[in-house]
Amino acid sequence: MTEAVLSPTATAARRLGEDGLAVIVGVGVLTLALVSLAGPDLLGWAVTTSVWTDPAKALGAVSKAYADLGGAGALAATYLALLVVLSLGVAALGAKVGKFAIAFTVVFVIAYASWFVGSWAHISTVTPADQTKLGVSWSLRLTNEGGFIVALIAGLVIANVFPRFADWLKDAIRPELYIKIAIVLLGAFIAVTAAGKLTLASSLLLRGVAAIVEAYLIYWAVVYFIARKWFGFSREWAAPLASGVSICGVAAAIATGGAIRARPQVPVLVSSLVVVFAVVEVLILPFLAQTFLSSQPLVAAAWIGLAVKTDGAAVAAGGITESLVLAKAAAEGINYQPGWLIAVTTTVKVFIDIFIGVWAFILAYIWTNHINVKPDAEKAKASEIWARFPKFVPGFIVTFVAGLALALGGAGPKLAAAVGEANTFRVIFFILTFFSIGVLTDFRKLWREGLGKLAAVYLVSLFGFVIWVGLIIS
Amino acid sequence: MSEQELRNELNEPVEPLLPIEKKLIGWSLGIGIVLLVLLAIVNHFLPLS
Repeated sequence: MTEAVLSPTATAARRLGEDGLAVIVGVGVLTLALVSLAGPDLLGWAVTTSVWTDPAKALGAVSKAYADLGGAGALAATYLALLVVLSLGVAALGAKVGKFAIAFTVVFVIAYASWFVGSWAHISTVTPADQTKLGVSWSLRLTNEGGFIVALIAGLVIANVFPRFADWLKDAIRPELYIKIAIVLLGAFIAVTAAGKLTLASSLLLRGVAAIVEAYLIYWAVVYFIARKWFGFSREWAAPLASGVSICGVAAAIATGGAIRARPQVPVLVSSLVVVFAVVEVLILPFLAQTFLSSQPLVAAAWIGLAVKTDGAAVAAGGITESLVLAKAAAEGINYQPGWLIAVTTTVKVFIDIFIGVWAFILAYIWTNHINVKPDAEKAKASEIWARFPKFVPGFIVTFVAGLALALGGAGPKLAAAVGEANTFRVIFFILTFFSIGVLTDFRKLWREGLGKLAAVYLVSLFGFVIWVGLIIS
Repeated sequence: MSEQELRNELNEPVEPLLPIEKKLIGWSLGIGIVLLVLLAIVNHFLPLS
């Protein structure tokens, strides 16, 4: 369909896209938070949850200036603000606002309830000192970010036990939108964390570059070879599969499918596989990182960024890994700097994302000029690089640069407080992402669609190669 | 695409690797390994803790 036959509204919606919306919401939230540097605190009413034994005392506003609001008031204010902003956003995308608003209300309630449950002291407290302080005799020691896992499991239960309910929720199940907003917000958080810490800044750069080399040049080539040579897949299947396993999940599989002119159902089926395996990784890898890599926290974070596919699952897994690794270290009397691990995981993922367009262009060039050579076929165009470029990345760069400039300019504790308020929303968007990923993960699809052979390539490549090479190089 | 169609398609005769595919795999791995070695050298001289 060309733009000429689209209505002006539909054309505008297509141009904005989820990436554009994520940038607007993310930059907007950060801007409101930064107003507190020079004036009123505009976002202090956002809800935050403490580790609790008495549920009545769990919720509260993030800023003391809004303490009078109480937990329920802060929760209601946060829900209403998100409902209004996201409803306007999806309206701009051309979706039906009424259906979204109703579904979002249910999604928000279940997702935040999961976070609330995850903050229960018996689930979240880590150190014996904290357990004594809160008067609990046992704990699962998941930290309060164990709520992410509770949200994921809630989503998985809905998807696999109540599929009709999952289908009813689908208007508000937008994990890509939620995680992209969170990543844009993370830009400022990473900048403030890295400012003045040359070790972290240089580590971010080095690990980011290494991740690009590994994902595009090492993993892709090996997975493509395995799929073609060992499993006998055609080129049409092997290329999107290699991109899905090695680069960045869904976006890479779809970009590759388009680049090599594969039939649309090929990258779609590969993407469904990617989502399922990403969830399996989120449930397993952070705990492996905690068990085996707690003495090498940045290695653990970079490894998660490389091994877990899809932006949402990777960055979310980075958050869980940080809380688990820091918790284990704290129990041993070592206090790592908070924020560093998730900064590394996110940077690794964003660095990898940036080159999807370039890689799609290279594959398109090879396929149209050497593999599927047709005299009348459209050749690869350099404009494809921009067309495939993840448009939320400039938003991440804007918030990173703004945060860095303010941090180096000496904004100090006020800046940390302002970014902390924006970070409260980042956590909420993480919770929504986790729940949404769970709702989209119907394990039965794997077998119903006969994807066993594709899954075998994924399994062999991911658990036999990608994870371990990533670990060695990280 | 139905389950049966997908199964049939995935069981079709194997397409042999073309020279251009072998080149793509070989050059990717070659450049990748060289770049990783360079990064390892950089990391050796500017170690990160």
